[in-house]
Amino acid sequence: MSELDRTSLPIRRETFAGVANRTLAGSQPDWNLIGHPTAPVGAPNVLLVLIDDAGFGNPSTFGGPIRTPNFERMAEGGLRYNRMHVTALCSPTRAALLTGRNNHAVGFGSVGEFAGGFPGYSATLPRDCAPLPRILRDNGYSTAAFGKWHLTPDGQQGPAGPFDRWPNAWGFDYFYGILGGGSSQWDPCLAENQKIIGTPEDFYDEEHPYYFPDAMADRTIEWLHGVRAQDARKPFFVYYSTGCSHAPHHVAKDWVDKYQGKFDQGWDRLREETFARQKELGVVPADAELTPRDPAFPAWDDVSDKLKTFYARQMEVYAGYSENADHNVGRVIDAIDELGELDNTLIIWIWGDNGASMEGTVTGSFNELTMQNGIPLTDEMQLQLSERYGGADAWSTSLMAPHYGAAWAWAGNTPFQWGKQVGSHLGGTRNPMVMHWPARITDAGGLRSQFAHVIDVAPMILDVTGIPAPDTVDGIEQEPMHGTSFVASLTDGAAAEHRTQQYFETIGNRAMYKDGWWLAMKTERIPWVLTPDALRPYAPGVWDPDAGPVELYYLPDDFTQAKDLAAQHPEKVQALKDLFWVEAERYKVLPLLAFLSTFFGMLPPLPDQTKFEFRGDVQNVMPGMIPRIYNRSYAITADLVVPDGGAEGVIVAEADHLGGFSLYVKDGKLTHTYSMMGVFVFKQVAEEDLPTGDVTVRMEFDADAAKPATGGDVTLFIDGRPVGKGRMDHTVPIRFSGYSGMDIGRDNGGVVDRSYEREKPFAFTGTVKKVVFDIKPHLSDDDEQALHAAEHHGQAAHGLSA
Amino acid sequence: MPFDKETTDVLIGGYMSTDAAHEDYEAVLNCGARLWGAVVVSKDLEGNLSVEQTDHMVEEGAAGLASVGFVVGLFAPPLLAATAIGAALGAVGGKALHRRTGSKIEEAAGETIPIGGAGLIVAYKHTDAQTVEPTVARAVKKVVGEAEGHHVEALKGALADAQQKMAEAGG
Repeated sequence: MSELDRTSLPIRRETFAGVANRTLAGSQPDWNLIGHPTAPVGAPNVLLVLIDDAGFGNPSTFGGPIRTPNFERMAEGGLRYNRMHVTALCSPTRAALLTGRNNHAVGFGSVGEFAGGFPGYSATLPRDCAPLPRILRDNGYSTAAFGKWHLTPDGQQGPAGPFDRWPNAWGFDYFYGILGGGSSQWDPCLAENQKIIGTPEDFYDEEHPYYFPDAMADRTIEWLHGVRAQDARKPFFVYYSTGCSHAPHHVAKDWVDKYQGKFDQGWDRLREETFARQKELGVVPADAELTPRDPAFPAWDDVSDKLKTFYARQMEVYAGYSENADHNVGRVIDAIDELGELDNTLIIWIWGDNGASMEGTVTGSFNELTMQNGIPLTDEMQLQLSERYGGADAWSTSLMAPHYGAAWAWAGNTPFQWGKQVGSHLGGTRNPMVMHWPARITDAGGLRSQFAHVIDVAPMILDVTGIPAPDTVDGIEQEPMHGTSFVASLTDGAAAEHRTQQYFETIGNRAMYKDGWWLAMKTERIPWVLTPDALRPYAPGVWDPDAGPVELYYLPDDFTQAKDLAAQHPEKVQALKDLFWVEAERYKVLPLLAFLSTFFGMLPPLPDQTKFEFRGDVQNVMPGMIPRIYNRSYAITADLVVPDGGAEGVIVAEADHLGGFSLYVKDGKLTHTYSMMGVFVFKQVAEEDLPTGDVTVRMEFDADAAKPATGGDVTLFIDGRPVGKGRMDHTVPIRFSGYSGMDIGRDNGGVVDRSYEREKPFAFTGTVKKVVFDIKPHLSDDDEQALHAAEHHGQAAHGLSA
Repeated sequence: MPFDKETTDVLIGGYMSTDAAHEDYEAVLNCGARLWGAVVVSKDLEGNLSVEQTDHMVEEGAAGLASVGFVVGLFAPPLLAATAIGAALGAVGGKALHRRTGSKIEEAAGETIPIGGAGLIVAYKHTDAQTVEPTVARAVKKVVGEAEGHHVEALKGALADAQQKMAEAGG
């Protein structure tokens, strides 16, 4: 075979080097024609592991309280990196990691859910930025992704695609996981390759219930075995991206119980303990200072005893959930070892994509979506709602979608300030990384402190595989990767810094790093607060980014960002500010706060579809794609065939008891149940039985006003006759669920109404011919526009914490 | 002191969980004060109603307590986009509170206790207020009404006062 030209993808097919005569007489075959491009000789397997919503001070490998024996095993046999940086938000880190380019430059200044109208915020990968898996696949790798994706826009997650925003099109031969930013770990709405496959069948197996982290590892191992059964030599690239530790924090009780009582000392003391261990391990320099608690987080000593118990349980669950993630990654590593390929597998394992998440607000929540829906619940309300759904023992079960309190996240980001969303500080941007590759690493157990960023990972993988970044892909000239390989650090702890400069920007929180200096420019908004008062200072024409407060740190002397030098070095502050603007323009960061543009009146065109029709076999409509029924009057009409003897079951249901609706028939009665995020549950029941034969049923919601979370009256109809009514004082303003889908003719996964829990999925025993959603237009264009704005505010708010 | 010389208080507490309501109910029963009556009504996640009341409840008290509309719509969360969703709460609360006196507890509560919620009503002598009220520690909404006069009239008056205050508090 001739030398392959790997600079242009796909690699051109071999020129026929044989002879083809009129007959076989004298003809010579060229068997290279039926081959495929192979990877360079010796190219290693690559396992890239990314943990979600976790902090520098979480894993025991870096001094944290969460036992991570497998992460540790890899560190002891490989290298710890204590200056690895991410982007402070989920999708942006993933986009940068998989493309080797700055996140804004590839359209991911925001998250997959929120596709905005500026180049840096389109959530759409430009064709001149071919991602790493595509490059590896075209160069002879088997590629697969398992787990959380979060790079497909919200409204494009159905059978109509477009699929160029799905994992396969990014270059993965195989994908199994979730397209969104977070998911129930018990009943995820799964995708496999280019199909939403919905709730796994094992969810209904009470003896051996489905658990997403276990299934991810199972599927990965099964895929590896399959690849090896077919081809013993083809290298693989596995991107293993856990849903853990993103909310909802779901894990079996055994894992939680391991941590019972381990957090009774509270978050302040936990930070001190972690910090001491970090110094002992050497992952934090001995002269480093622990940064103080911001007033946004309460002091543990000020918390009542009752709430201390409640809060401690939140962290116990998070810890158990995280340890389970380590366990399952360990299973995958064991499987690679069993194949005899661990020595030549480069494992890159990053513990967190944006620092631990503070989006549970100060109280934590029994349902993470309450924050995103703008429902402020006091600590006592949260406690009572958790009791409603089973209390402490149920916090990690499917009865809740829990998120811990913000101060636990801050403790998880020890020794730094802040966390997720705060791109200006290390709490949101620095995460632990371990690399393991026995075939190359000689300094097993070593520590590396080169300043690295996730954009450097793809160039490094290409470097070690011997595959060049392509000049063209599909005929399109490629933008060079922005990252730089740091392969030298694998064998040389004293290797020169490969990255001396890097900008950071997340939702207006900015930083500029250069030659050890770090300028932090944090907006004054608390990350989990999106009230009008909090947003008003950032309105167009009001906000002057250069007028905000700044902090300046010199990281070689100040690992934790504890000593603000801004007042002593105004010239350095100005120089870094100026450099940030240059970088921001270069990498499409502008306009700042484009992520929040909808809050300031920059809305996409008003959609004109008011009728949505679903035939009876449609299932697993992703939550971002259900008809836009929020904050308005609407009707659901269903054409049914009811056999003699009657029928029961679900006609249409969205999401579950923690937010959703269900129109169903039980005990012969048409019933509508609506869960306002599990805080309020409304139910209306028909006063007469459902007749047999062809029947049309209808649920009408007559909103009080076209406004967010409007109350209104419900009327049930059978064949046009009103048969029941009721009132819903509050409705869901933004989104029922971040992950649970809508189904016709059944209620897949967790059910909306617990009264039919035992019959789940409570499939309709007659026939649902079709279900039609009629989104009633309101009286004025102003109302429609106002609802359109509210919907997109919600979209952005959801995106902030996805 | 004769009963009809007393001022009677009625406390209404609203809860988002049955556990919390029962915790306060037990605390009230054990607070040491003499109660005219106490009742906790809750609705589970499947919509089943349960009622628990003291064995010591005077007959007039039970009849009076039965008239209460339970209001556990408790807060008006501001939304992201500068609007508030609680405007309708007061009106709904008022509607629920003006149910016909004399209906049974189950009927009144069945219609007004939200799924997953609970309500607690306690009647007691005003002179015991300092003993009783602090024990109701977990209600997310708590009001106290009071009235003087003959015990049945006082009880009804205190209930009406409490209901009014609950309505004014936004449900």
